[in-house]
Parts: sequence; C-alpha cells; structure tokens
Amino acid sequence: MDQKILKKNQIGKLYKELSGEYSFFAPINKKGNIVFEKIENAEDIILDYLNSKIPPKSVLFPQEEVLFEYTLDDKDIEITDRQDLEQKYLIFGIRPCDAYSFELFANFFSFHGDWKDEIYLKKKENTTLIGIGCNTPRTTCFCTSVGGNPFNKENMDIFLSDLGDSYLVEGITDKGKALIKKLSWLSDATKNDVKKAEELAKKAEELITTKIDVDKVVENLSTCFEDPVWDEISEACIGCGSCAYLCPTCTCFDVIDETDHYNNRGRRIRIWDTCQSCLYTMETSGHNPRDTKIQRCRNRIMHKFSYYPTNYDLLGCVGCGRCIYVCPANNDLRVILDKIKKIEKKEGEKVVA
Amino acid sequence: MGIETSNKEITNSIRENAKKLLSEDQVDVIIGYSQGTVPLSSTPIIIRKEEDVDKLIWNNLCYINLARYLAPLMPQLCDSERKPLRIGIVAKGCVARAVNVLAAEKQVDLNKIKMIGFNCNGIINRSKIDQEIGEKEMLDVAISGDDIIVKGRDWEKKFPYNQYINELCKVCQVKMPSATETSCVGECQELDSIHDEFSDITDFESKSADEKWAYIKDLLQVCTLCYSCRQACPVCYCNLCFVDQNKPIWFGKTTEYQDIFTFHLVRAQHLAGRCVACGACSSVCPVGIDLNFITRKLEKIVKNRFDYTSGLNAETVPPMMDFKMNDAQEFMLEED
Repeated sequence: MDQKILKKNQIGKLYKELSGEYSFFAPINKKGNIVFEKIENAEDIILDYLNSKIPPKSVLFPQEEVLFEYTLDDKDIEITDRQDLEQKYLIFGIRPCDAYSFELFANFFSFHGDWKDEIYLKKKENTTLIGIGCNTPRTTCFCTSVGGNPFNKENMDIFLSDLGDSYLVEGITDKGKALIKKLSWLSDATKNDVKKAEELAKKAEELITTKIDVDKVVENLSTCFEDPVWDEISEACIGCGSCAYLCPTCTCFDVIDETDHYNNRGRRIRIWDTCQSCLYTMETSGHNPRDTKIQRCRNRIMHKFSYYPTNYDLLGCVGCGRCIYVCPANNDLRVILDKIKKIEKKEGEKVVA
Repeated sequence: MGIETSNKEITNSIRENAKKLLSEDQVDVIIGYSQGTVPLSSTPIIIRKEEDVDKLIWNNLCYINLARYLAPLMPQLCDSERKPLRIGIVAKGCVARAVNVLAAEKQVDLNKIKMIGFNCNGIINRSKIDQEIGEKEMLDVAISGDDIIVKGRDWEKKFPYNQYINELCKVCQVKMPSATETSCVGECQELDSIHDEFSDITDFESKSADEKWAYIKDLLQVCTLCYSCRQACPVCYCNLCFVDQNKPIWFGKTTEYQDIFTFHLVRAQHLAGRCVACGACSSVCPVGIDLNFITRKLEKIVKNRFDYTSGLNAETVPPMMDFKMNDAQEFMLEED
C-alpha cells in the first residue's frame, strides 16, 4: 500500500530518525509568530497552524545569506566559496501554496537557463518537502484562483493530510516514496483513511470563498500602466516592506560587501530587498525612476500579475493572502485586484516589462 | 456611556464636520479612516466629495497616525502642479500632536490644514489580542457595550475593552487635538502642559541594565527590518533615513542582532522629545514587536530635563533640535 499513517505522537520519532541526515525545518511559534526554523526539540513543531507569518522561503533563501568569504593581502584576493551546499534540508509541514512558490523561485534563480544561482539551486536540489494540506484555509486565501488548491500535492515530495489523531502520508515523488520506504515503522492506511482525507480536501476547497478573476486582471494590466487607479490603490500605503518580505514569491535581494579592514578579510552577503523601498531603483546619478509610492505600489502588482506572466508564463502569486492580513494600512490585495478588474479598457497603451 | 455608543457618536461628528468642511469649501480633501477589510484593521482613506463622507468611520482600530501622510506630503494630497491641497484631517489627540511637531519643524503649512477633532477613546492593542487568539482565524472584531467581541467560524471570545487597549492609551492625556478653534472643527483643547506620570514604563524602568538589554534582545528576535515602524511614524520624515544611507553605508542592514538593535535604538533616539505617543509603530508591526517603552523613556528624560512635552503647540521646537544658553548639560556625564 502506498499510503501510510503517521500518528500525531510519532512526530518525535520521525524527527529523531531524520534530523541526523537532514537539517530539519518545521513551523514553530516564535514570539507569537509561526515561522520555519531548524528544529532542536520535536515538541516545538506546530502543524495545526493557519499559515506561517514568515514564509518558508526563509529556509532556502534566508533574509541574510553569505555568498562567499574572502581574504585580502597587498596583491591578491582569495575567495572561499560556500562549503555547506551539500547539506540536505527537510522542510516539514509546508503548506501547498508555499511549496508552489519554490516552483516560481526555480524560474527566477535560473533565469531561463541563461544564468544560474548555484547556491539557491543546489540547496533546492538537496531539499525534501513534506507538506500538509490546509483543513481550514483562511478567508483571505485564494489559491484556487491562481491555479492552486488547499490540498495540492504537486510540489511536495511527501504529502500529509491531518485526519484528527493521525496524518495520512502519501509519497508523491520518487524521492518521497523512497523516504517513506525507509520509515518502515509507519503503519498502512485503510481505505477509510484515504476516503476521510478526500473528504477533508473537498471541504477545504469549499471553504475558499475569495475568488479572483485573475485572467481579467492580467489582461487589464497590459493596458493600464498610466491609469489613475494607481493613485487610489497606493493611497493608504505607508511604504513599508512587510508585503514583500512576507510574500512567498518575492525574491529581490541586495548584495553587500562587508570588509573587515583590520583583519584583511570580508564577505559578500545578500539580504532581502523590496521594491517598496524608495532606494530600490535609485540610480547612481541620483535619478529614481520610481520615486513615488504610486509607482512602487504599481510595480508590486505589475510584477506578480503582469511581468511574471509575460516572462515566465506563470502567475507570480500563490494566493496565500499574507499581504492581505499583514499590511499595516490594510491595503487589501483583493480590493486592489478588484479595482484593476473594473478598469475600462483603453486602446493603444502597452505594458513596459 | 459605553465605548460602542461613543464610537457611533464620534463617527457621526466626524462625518458632519467633514461634510461641513467640504461643503463650505474650507478644504479640498479629507483624510480619515474607513472600515477595514480584515478583522483588527482599518484603512486610511481620502475623501474628495461630500457624498463620500459616510465612508469615514471611527472605531478603536484606527491605529494609523494620519499625520504620516503629510510629511513628506503624499502626491495624492497635492494638485496637478504638486502644490499642497487644503487638507482636512481626522485628528485624535496624537494625530494633532504630530501635526504640531511637523509644523514646529517647518514640515507642514498649518494654514492648509484643518483638524477634525474628537475625544479619542483609545486604540485596541492588536498584537495582544492576536497573540491570545493564536492559530485560529478571526472573522470579525466588534465593540459591544464595553467589550471587544472577537468571532471566528465556530467560536467567540470577549475581551474587556479597558484591559485590551494600548498601554499608551491608558495613560494618554491628550485625547483630543491640542489646537485652537480656528485650526480645528469639532472638539479641541488648548494645552500648555500635561502631567504625564509615565506609569506605562514603570516595569521597564525597574529592570537592571542587563535585564533591559536581555528584554530588548528577546523582543527583537523576530524583527524582519521591514521598517513598518519607521514608515508608520508620523514624525519620521527624512528624505533618506540613516539606515538607508549607502554612499557610504552607515549601518549594517543584516538580520544579525547588532544591526537590528542599532536600527531600533537610533530610531528611538531620533524621536527623543518628538514622539507623540500614538503607538502606531507597535500597532503596525507585522510580527507584534512593541518598543514604545524606549521612546517613552526618552520622553520622560526630556520632560524632566527640559519640561517639554511634544506636540502641545505648533510653535515650540523640540529641545533636541534647539539650543539655549541655559540648557542643563550635566546629564551628558550621568547615567539615566
């Protein structure tokens, strides 16, 4: 039988068995926020959560990451590349929308194959995703409008369904199936278990009430670059970066060289950046092509719903709804997209990607 | 009078005054609050037409300090030639204080601003409720009588209002605009000084230096440096924030503790004698960090040293931006 059962009191056993081989990341409660962190104690793991505050992109694309280190002397610079890229990662308890975001990352970090970000790609290659379906999606969730589903198993290696006192365990990829085989102590699932999981999936899908006509939004965005609607959309925005930092598909980063002149060494790091920052597009000349928040708010929407479809034939949004409920000014993405949907079409204007 | 009733009355008076300002052509736009789309929120809104004034609301979740949109003046509040419009601003006490600080620092032209004053009844501590609810989705938050009622899919929880408002609101003494009747419609008061006991920071002050250090370090564990605290602050208006200086870089921008700590402490220092105690910085924090006690401590020091409270009038420049020959300076050698 392909489907297995993991009892809720066996999480500790699972952790014990896998944490030697893998860097084991899972959701924990950190100062009242659910975040994915490397687990030290299996009892910290929380699986009955809505969704994490900080998306699990932070595991493979952390907010701050060393690209390489260097030492300097009078003549030469010696560069030391990352030595830890063979490390295997396991992300346990990831939600389907967040797992899908890694598919979008694959495009960004390999830019049509013209260029490859080896650090990210290597880490992703060494990562196993054990995801879990959402029994109770939030009212702000809209994954079904952007091609997802609260029980979407596609981007996982192993998929869990919360049946109450146990989890139904399904191997999705070969990697996942092989891992399940190694966990020989898992008991077999019954037909009833499988049926129950199917019912939960159906019920969860029905709970998603936010529906967005994304096709119409994408279509309208191609002709509304100069529309006055952007003034209105950016009205309440206070210009912080929480929508971008907590977005599972935002990938922008800034690169900084930190040199320790006293010890003749340094490191090149990357840190998350956001197009909502006024410095993001500041040019060396002092000119800033996006110097108002109107332009910056427009860029965030354009990037996800216009440039992504144009460049990768994919939407840049997974429908997790984080930006809706974390926005300090309650600048609700659902309202923004609705305003865009209602724009009456004008001819002759083209989007500049 | 219950909070629920008081909110209704405030909402009505805001709408009436907004309508009056627009119909008498005293202002071009009104900036106020509208109903939020998710629980525990509200959305700032710009009203341009009389018939839209009913979109304005007041509830205890109108936590954004609207003065935030005045400096730098956002483009939506300017005309087509980028000249400032005449603005009506829905002003709880701390909004008016911020407008006064901005005016004293020559950032806004008070002749272009009319305040719509009312007697503010406090702001709900969002993160406290959020933390207590935990991983259950809130569907509705409403005030009923004197309670905050939070509803979910199949549950309901009641929080006594007076225990779940911001600590700052509990000790607030400037609940309505400190302004004159010429600059304010609705309720206002003229104020020279207030007797702030700073009782909200007693706990923090009683800690030892080591304990304070550990306490702040612990709070900052989850900071993502999204800068929403800075962005929400009505008196943070620098064209280029110190932390954004990159030619050369002044401060590290990593998530390592020393960088996060430096940002928050230096930001707080820039607010010494300028913080208007609105609590917007902690209300907006997406991860629920509340560092108000640091700015409050600095306010207390300024109050003790210079007998100054920020934003009570639009003329007195905050002491840290001013110099007088008889300024006490011995504190530079003291620990406080």
